Amino acid sequence: MPGTHRLSRFRPTEAILLLALGALLGACAALPSARGRDAIRISELVDQGDPVRRASLRLLVEGLEADAVGADARAKGRYERAIQLDPTNPYAYLTFARFEVERGRATQARAWLDQAHALFDAEGGVPARVEAHLIGLGGAVEAIRGNRLDAARDLERARRLAPTVWGDAYLAAEELL
Amino acid sequence: MASGTGKKKGRKKASRKTASRPARRRRAPARAKRRRRRWTRDHLRLALRIAAALAFVMGVVSGRWLLGLDQTVRERFEGRRFRVPSRVLSAPTILYPGFGAQRFDLKGQLLRRGYREQSGARGTPLEPGRFRWSPSRVRVHLRAFEHPTRSEPARDIVMRISRGRVEEMRELPRGREVGAVLLEPEQVGAFYGSSREQRDLVRLEDVPPYLTGAILAVEDRRFESHVGIDPVRIAGAMVANFRARGITQGGSTLTQQLVKNFFLTPERTLRRKLTEAVMALLVEVRYDKPAILQAYLNEIYLGQRGSTSVHGVGEASRFLFGKRAADLTVAESALIAAIIQSPNRLSPHRNPTVAIERRNLVLQLMWKQERIDSETLARAEAEPLGVADIAVDPGDARYFLDLLRRQLPEVYDSQVLEAEGLRIYSTLDLRLQRAAARALEKGLAELERDFPGVRSEDPADRLQGCVLALRPQTGEILALVGGRDYGLSQFDRCAQARRQTGSVFKPIVYAAALDASAGRPHITLASFIEDEPLEVQTPAGAWRPENFDKQFHGQVPVRAALERSMNVAAARLGQEVGIDQVVAMARRLGVTSKLPRVPSLALGTAELSPLEVARVYATVANGGQRPWPHALEDVVAPDVGTLDRRELRFERTIDPGTAFLTTELLRGVVDRGTARRIRAMGMEGSIAGKTGTTDDERDLWFVGFTPELVTVVWVGFDQPRSVGISSSRAAIPIWVDFVSEAVGKRVRGVFPRPHEVQEFAIDPRSGALAAARCPSRRREYFIAGTEPRDICTATGVRRMGDAHPQRRRGILDWLRGR
Repeated sequence: MPGTHRLSRFRPTEAILLLALGALLGACAALPSARGRDAIRISELVDQGDPVRRASLRLLVEGLEADAVGADARAKGRYERAIQLDPTNPYAYLTFARFEVERGRATQARAWLDQAHALFDAEGGVPARVEAHLIGLGGAVEAIRGNRLDAARDLERARRLAPTVWGDAYLAAEELL
Repeated sequence: MASGTGKKKGRKKASRKTASRPARRRRAPARAKRRRRRWTRDHLRLALRIAAALAFVMGVVSGRWLLGLDQTVRERFEGRRFRVPSRVLSAPTILYPGFGAQRFDLKGQLLRRGYREQSGARGTPLEPGRFRWSPSRVRVHLRAFEHPTRSEPARDIVMRISRGRVEEMRELPRGREVGAVLLEPEQVGAFYGSSREQRDLVRLEDVPPYLTGAILAVEDRRFESHVGIDPVRIAGAMVANFRARGITQGGSTLTQQLVKNFFLTPERTLRRKLTEAVMALLVEVRYDKPAILQAYLNEIYLGQRGSTSVHGVGEASRFLFGKRAADLTVAESALIAAIIQSPNRLSPHRNPTVAIERRNLVLQLMWKQERIDSETLARAEAEPLGVADIAVDPGDARYFLDLLRRQLPEVYDSQVLEAEGLRIYSTLDLRLQRAAARALEKGLAELERDFPGVRSEDPADRLQGCVLALRPQTGEILALVGGRDYGLSQFDRCAQARRQTGSVFKPIVYAAALDASAGRPHITLASFIEDEPLEVQTPAGAWRPENFDKQFHGQVPVRAALERSMNVAAARLGQEVGIDQVVAMARRLGVTSKLPRVPSLALGTAELSPLEVARVYATVANGGQRPWPHALEDVVAPDVGTLDRRELRFERTIDPGTAFLTTELLRGVVDRGTARRIRAMGMEGSIAGKTGTTDDERDLWFVGFTPELVTVVWVGFDQPRSVGISSSRAAIPIWVDFVSEAVGKRVRGVFPRPHEVQEFAIDPRSGALAAARCPSRRREYFIAGTEPRDICTATGVRRMGDAHPQRRRGILDWLRGR
């Protein structure tokens, strides 16, 4: 078998090195999606927390689903109900902030982001996988306000933390779903 | 000409002279006859002329009358036919796994919304608006909720219940697990006009054919063929009435009934009947049958709900069966048709036996007229009446309705609200509203029982109170009870009264002192305040504040000063911070009333409304973001869409750190201070609050909040006079009663600690940071950079000052455990 013959020409150490190189290349190729998993999605959380929190998260998922297909009013209604049910749910404010950013309402978005930040702090700090969203949305708020330097700085930080999600400096509803 | 005429006269005279007497005698009767004939002819002509004149006059008069009637008919039919009061609806209830079905009274909530319990085997179908209840399993077919932007489809949901809680929810028929479903809003009230008529308009195409069939079968079987009046029916009624020797049967068609209700009074006179008949003819000439039938369906009177009258089949469907007219069954349709004759005598709530007999009579008529087949007849006759419970009073939300009305934009004036049939979605949580009303009434009654001195026989001089609850994160007003009895006094003590706040104001002074936004704060939570005699010179003379216990306590920790509500310490702090700063902080927190710039402001001499106070505490509870308290969610016009929608409004007005530290102080008030009664009454979890009692105990306050709810309770007399009870005794029990029902005895969640607030160990005796061997220590919160500069060691307190910043930073890192 010619192939076997060719392989047999490599010494074991060379073969191991080649395999290691292949694995490294494979890992590099897969890196963006792995990093993408570093940014949180609400649907991952629906089984976490107490019953009130879980129900609130499920309402957020329903809202994001509506948001993703352009049903703005339904989405907003769901986000509001999520807050009504669990006013201490930081993800509700984060999701609402994204909604407001997309509609260019900087003041509201900033208020929701602050709220989310404070609530994450109350729950032991901002989770690493949420940080990119908070920073990125903060950058988007600054962009709406016309503060280009601050916006660029924050969006770049978000891109570095979650390149697949924030690589385009934009967080779509599907990316948070 | 003249001569010729003279000749003829001469000839006549000659002939008379020459005629014989008998001949003259023969001609006399003929003359008389001619004369009579002439007389008759003349009078006939006159009579005809008079008749013609009379006919002309009558024609003019009746023509004008007819034209007038025609105009009246057209105006009503072509203009706005009905005045439909606008309804106010509550916030929806959200059901989810973990929902306390027992505590939240799920069954009561369903019944109040007109859902009906239906027995039957597990797998049998359940139509929308029905539920099946067993201790371990509840199945509810939720009705669809129609809204321009927040519509919900009808959903058949089955809930597994364990120990009073919903454990799991699944949607049938697929059995898919669901996380949350909305129970549609409940009606809170309506803006009625003077007629107090309630109706829900329907279109003919939305009404099931058997409803119109049932009505026509019993009320007007020849509706499709007559011209507004039905001679056959009139003749039949006359015969029946003659036989019965009284009026037992009416001969009116639907058109006549509609005309009578629309335009005429119920008097039984010939004139009214004539007008009714003519107008019915006019209506039939001008409008087609479907338009007349639709108007009838919306106009007909169908009963009484308390002081409001139920008009139209749409409203009657909701009133009797808790559902839309479109969803009525054959038997339900027959019942509505059955009660038209006499809605109150045949009321299925009052006289179920009579009502069911009459319903079955209608069903028989429908069958005889081939409007239903015999199988449908048998099935419908076998059905029970199945009317929904009459909705009980929705927790006396009239003070809330008044506030809502004041918050509505000016365009919604009385004319609009009482006629346009708007749907006004509010923030009110009716469960909380009922709880608040109960807590206030019970609390005040207990005070009157335990302290007879506060009892008054004069209803206008009774001890009063108010309870207001809002969600700090959104500013939604969830419950508002502005007094004991709206019927007696519509003055809203929550929103319209301005009363001295007493110690409830003090947290504003402390927040101003803790504020680090403009540099180093005046105090930290480790600071001490001097509680020694204080004298402040004012234009009115020297002001010397005193403590409640008439004593001075020397150097007191900040926490203890507020926990024990020390007046002198608060007054001194107010002086140190400056009254202008205190006023500025009050404005930032949401006070809009006029504030006197006097030293005593720090002790709460300002007069604020409980709503304003709630806003202040909501800003603190919300981490420094000031919400806008609101009662309105949106306004929807039928067939138009959303007219107005409130947007959540926020403003960051104080640092999150300052808000958190203020909250921490107020937690101490509940845990150890003047409000510790709350703990003694069994409340657990994150609660912060402040008592307030003004001079002579005229105003008794407690404002408390959990992470999810701010609640203000005020007790006092409308004409300020001493109540003679402490706020802890008067207001706290009402607060606990309400909050424990609203959120439970174990409060959920914690107050969010912002990242700039750090925790250090301190020496409580000196307020210095506590090193490892410091003899006493406790944890305390500081805004980063405001922590104490001195360090407590085994040998005493070492003054670090600012001389060794690097060394100090190293020690701080070590103390933080880095």
